[in-house]
Amino acid sequence: MEKIRKHTKDAVKSMDEIRKQTENTVKGMDIIRKSTDDTITDTIIESIDITRTFKMGEVEVRALRSVNVKIRRGEFIAIMGPSGSGKTTLLNQLGLLDTPNSGKVIIDGSDTSRLSDSEKGKFRLHNLGYVFQDYALLPELNAMENVYISLMMQGKSKTECESAAAEILAAVGLGDRLQQLPSKMSGGQQQRVSIARALAHSPEVLFADEPCANLDSETSKEVLDLFEKFNQEKGQTIVMVTHEEWHAEYADRVIRLKDGIVQE
Amino acid sequence: MLEKARVSFFLASRSITRGNKGITIFTVFVLTLIFIQLVLFSSMLAGVTLKFNELMVNFQTGNVVVEPKEEERYIEDASALQKKIESLPQVVGASARLKTTGNFRYKEKEIGATIYGIDSADETFVTGLEDAIISGEFLSRPDKGEIILGREVSGGFGALMESRSLGGAEVGDTVELTIGGVTREFRVKGIYTTRYFMADASAYLTRADLEEMLGIEGRDFAQEIAVKTADGTPEYDTRTALLSLGIGENIRTWNEFAGILRLIESTLGMVRNIMNAIGLLIAFVIIFVVIYVNIVNKKRQIGVQKAIGIEQNVIIASFVLQAMLYAGAGVILGYVFVRFGLVPYTVSHPVEVPLGSMSLRLDNAEALNRAVLLFLSSVVGSVIPAYKLAQKDLLDLIWGK
Ligand SMILES: Nc1ncnc2c1ncn2[C@@H]1O[C@H](COP(=O)(O)OP(=O)(O)O)[C@@H](O)[C@H]1O
Ligand SMILES: [Mg+2]
Repeated sequence: MEKIRKHTKDAVKSMDEIRKQTENTVKGMDIIRKSTDDTITDTIIESIDITRTFKMGEVEVRALRSVNVKIRRGEFIAIMGPSGSGKTTLLNQLGLLDTPNSGKVIIDGSDTSRLSDSEKGKFRLHNLGYVFQDYALLPELNAMENVYISLMMQGKSKTECESAAAEILAAVGLGDRLQQLPSKMSGGQQQRVSIARALAHSPEVLFADEPCANLDSETSKEVLDLFEKFNQEKGQTIVMVTHEEWHAEYADRVIRLKDGIVQE
Repeated sequence: MLEKARVSFFLASRSITRGNKGITIFTVFVLTLIFIQLVLFSSMLAGVTLKFNELMVNFQTGNVVVEPKEEERYIEDASALQKKIESLPQVVGASARLKTTGNFRYKEKEIGATIYGIDSADETFVTGLEDAIISGEFLSRPDKGEIILGREVSGGFGALMESRSLGGAEVGDTVELTIGGVTREFRVKGIYTTRYFMADASAYLTRADLEEMLGIEGRDFAQEIAVKTADGTPEYDTRTALLSLGIGENIRTWNEFAGILRLIESTLGMVRNIMNAIGLLIAFVIIFVVIYVNIVNKKRQIGVQKAIGIEQNVIIASFVLQAMLYAGAGVILGYVFVRFGLVPYTVSHPVEVPLGSMSLRLDNAEALNRAVLLFLSSVVGSVIPAYKLAQKDLLDLIWGK
């Protein structure tokens, strides 16, 4: 019995591997296509010479030093680097959660450095999605409400909100937990709700800051598989910070940071 | 705009239904108490005023009082005028009175009081004095040398100013009365109380006795004619009817006599306003603290809400709405408690106060006014902390700075 199970498992694994290889070749082709017509329209986010300095009393911490990155539409990017190297800071600049001291972030061709705080808020609401390390769900809202709150803010009707939330929660495997409160869910489930929330409004870019840091490796794999699924099936652009090499294998490309500088 | 309000309302309602129940109950409870405090004093004041008016009409002035013409001391031909007044259909009774001040002496004690000379039968048609006798008997027409004392004059019987009274003169005792240099001895025939301090500080004797002391025997003089009308007759109509009889005397309605009452009312009104201001300040502080604590605990959530694009105003409004819902609940509970609990209770079990026995009276317009004020203070008390926090940088909020 045990043996049979192992065999079938192995078979599934090898099938998986084959699938992955073919996918990789598809990806490879994609990259070739992308690099051949590397036009501006294909770049979804670009940072130009961004620096971010934090003042801690007398001490100045230079978290980012003139960082230039370019992310193409549909790419799955991993940002890696040692702790304190500026990964989170970079993600926050790209995701318009923070404002650089100098330099600009250009998203979909528009210079975001000119936007006011409330315009940035609107931009985030309509175009960007976030997954935080500790899920950051609103504890007083159930799974569905957490997912559709931003749709509601966009002015969608209650039925639209609910059906969209139900659909995306089903897609992340939580179709049976729509009414559950975050406090009644495991870490993995909460993170999936948070992914559903980030994706409910079909954002241009999904940002994730160490989304698996609080999860065991099995659950981490489930979450990363979800990212992969959305990246491949829907062409979702994803920018993910991680410090695990095996997470980075899911990504098309890795941006490595060290002391606030991108390593070529 | 409406969409935004919808999100605020959604967040507020979830926060109330799924947030800390203890805080919600506490807040609503405190606001209920504050609302009760805000309306209670007004209701007491209204109750006291009503009682005071009643006492005034029932024991002193009747509905309307006819007084001597300008510059004259007495109404002349008082009995003829009284007959004329009594002929009006709406008039239940009229009592022509002599009124002066005098000094009583009993044992070592000496006090001043208002002295009325009345026709006891006529008086009974106008005031409830006869029923207010708590010891002895009321005057009757042929009485001579007999006097009725209010309990504030006699002392005893729970008089409020015992030390300023005769210190316990009883029925059957003899008291000495001096009016304008003339001194006579009177036997106390009865003691009365209206439970109304001012009315209890008087004494009544027959008109004949007082005429004699004033030296106006047989002159048919009166100092006032108190007129009692049928229930529900407006005082204004009575006055018109009296004027149409061709009465040249001064006619005043009871509430023109209530000068001291007005003074008390406006004094208490000021006290009430101060208490209201303090109550509102407390409401403001409570709301402020509750919302502030609530918000400080939700810093991170606010940060996350801002991060995913919920507008700052929507977040602020959600806290303000929450405070308004608390205030609304407090107002409703407080109103229900006062209107259907406290007021009916004090009507069936009046509270004894120095002015008399009193019940609460809740004026709806006043209650609405207090409700609006409570609402406003809860809005201000929540806007300030909500605005302060929602305005912060979202990363600072998320990281709990
Ligand atoms: N808000 C802040 N205030 C002060 N220093 C900060 C702040 N955010 C980040 N830093 C500093 O900037 C550097 C980069 O931080 P971060 O981007 O969080 O690194 P990583 O995510 O790669 O671990 C660190 O030295 C960190 O201490
Ligand atoms: Mg980090």
